[in-house]
Amino acid sequence: MKNLISLDSLTDIVSNSVGILIIFAVINLIHDDSKTYQLEIPLEHDTDLSPVFFISKNDRILALNTDTLFANATLQATSNAAANKRLFSLDYFGLLGKIDDKKGISFFARDTSEWPEFKEIEKRSSTLRDSLDKLDPAKQFAYFFVYDNTEDGSSSGSGFEAFRETREYLKSRFIKSGWQPVNSESPANICSRSISRRCVYQPSYLGGGKSGSNPNNSLNNENKSDNKAQ
Amino acid sequence: MMSRATRYARYQKDDRLEISLFPFLSIFLCVMGVLSFINVLSSFSAPQKIELTAQLETGYKIAYQIFSLPDGIISVPPTKNLRKLQAVLDDADKEIVDVIIQQREQKIARLENHSGSIMDAAIEPDIDDVLDTVHDIRTLNELALKANYLYEEFILFGIYPNGSQAYQKIRDVMLLTQDSAAISVGLEPLDSNWTLNLQKGRSK
Repeated sequence: MKNLISLDSLTDIVSNSVGILIIFAVINLIHDDSKTYQLEIPLEHDTDLSPVFFISKNDRILALNTDTLFANATLQATSNAAANKRLFSLDYFGLLGKIDDKKGISFFARDTSEWPEFKEIEKRSSTLRDSLDKLDPAKQFAYFFVYDNTEDGSSSGSGFEAFRETREYLKSRFIKSGWQPVNSESPANICSRSISRRCVYQPSYLGGGKSGSNPNNSLNNENKSDNKAQ
Repeated sequence: MMSRATRYARYQKDDRLEISLFPFLSIFLCVMGVLSFINVLSSFSAPQKIELTAQLETGYKIAYQIFSLPDGIISVPPTKNLRKLQAVLDDADKEIVDVIIQQREQKIARLENHSGSIMDAAIEPDIDDVLDTVHDIRTLNELALKANYLYEEFILFGIYPNGSQAYQKIRDVMLLTQDSAAISVGLEPLDSNWTLNLQKGRSK
């Protein structure tokens, strides 16, 4: 009978469980402590490189073929469909356009279902990767219009994750990138600096390759590119 | 040959010494399994919480951080190295820097004294405030250059989801002044679970 009511095994179980919980708590605490994050330091700077534009929205990335877009916009403008700041179809992956004296051509992205998903960047042969691989680091840089609106339950802007991933990919290929946040109220627009001083598209993120996420390295590279641009 | 009593006694003794670890081990492994499962589940499901430091610098480049949120902005001016800069300036310039330091420390104190989450301390960007900020940064950079002291401030925007409106407004205001032409600007996208921790930055 004495054996049956022994507390030894119960004590063992309780002490083991408590011990494990304490270990988990300590691990979580250590983990939490290491999550302090210093922003990388990407600085906008002048460059002789020419921008290639992309729109990032709903975890998808669309490369803007400006030749096609401007040709389509010109057609619409000459047929008077673009008069009085009206929205018109650009016949380009569901993009709508608007022509404004002060903002140039604005792009409204409503239906993104035909756009390549940013995860395609991992595939060796995909539309997105092909368009990124075409960029020449000696002549071009990527400029992203990134949508900042949030989907239900998401803690990130709808274009943020896609932009970050693509930027990292470009970085590994030594291609610089710049960006600006956009939304439906202030959409992506391409214009000439002669229209407005806001019409400036500069790279801010480096194409540093192996210099990695070390801010010191990042900044050093930035300064070098500044000097080169000057 | 053993007697019957002896054999019985030996049998009873063996029976008493039998120890079974199975119940203990089974419960122990069950508890371990459940706890590991909970831990793995929480690490996957819970959004990663990241804290941003208040003072950000790389070499001689010091960030004046402006966090752009849906409700407005949180400005976090750098104060850490200003006293060192002040020490190498002449008396007239020292006074200018002193005024800027006091204003910035008041700003930081307001943020630190804010009750509730720091992320709720966002305010609508005010045109005069933005112009003053840009002017102060330019002044400090020029004083540092004049004194041949390695110190350069730049504006770093942290853009939260739905926070582009305040950012656009500030950039528009910055175009109104020539001061901004001399100041470097950077911007980074931030997730809503990345929060600002004033204490961590200051302790560093």
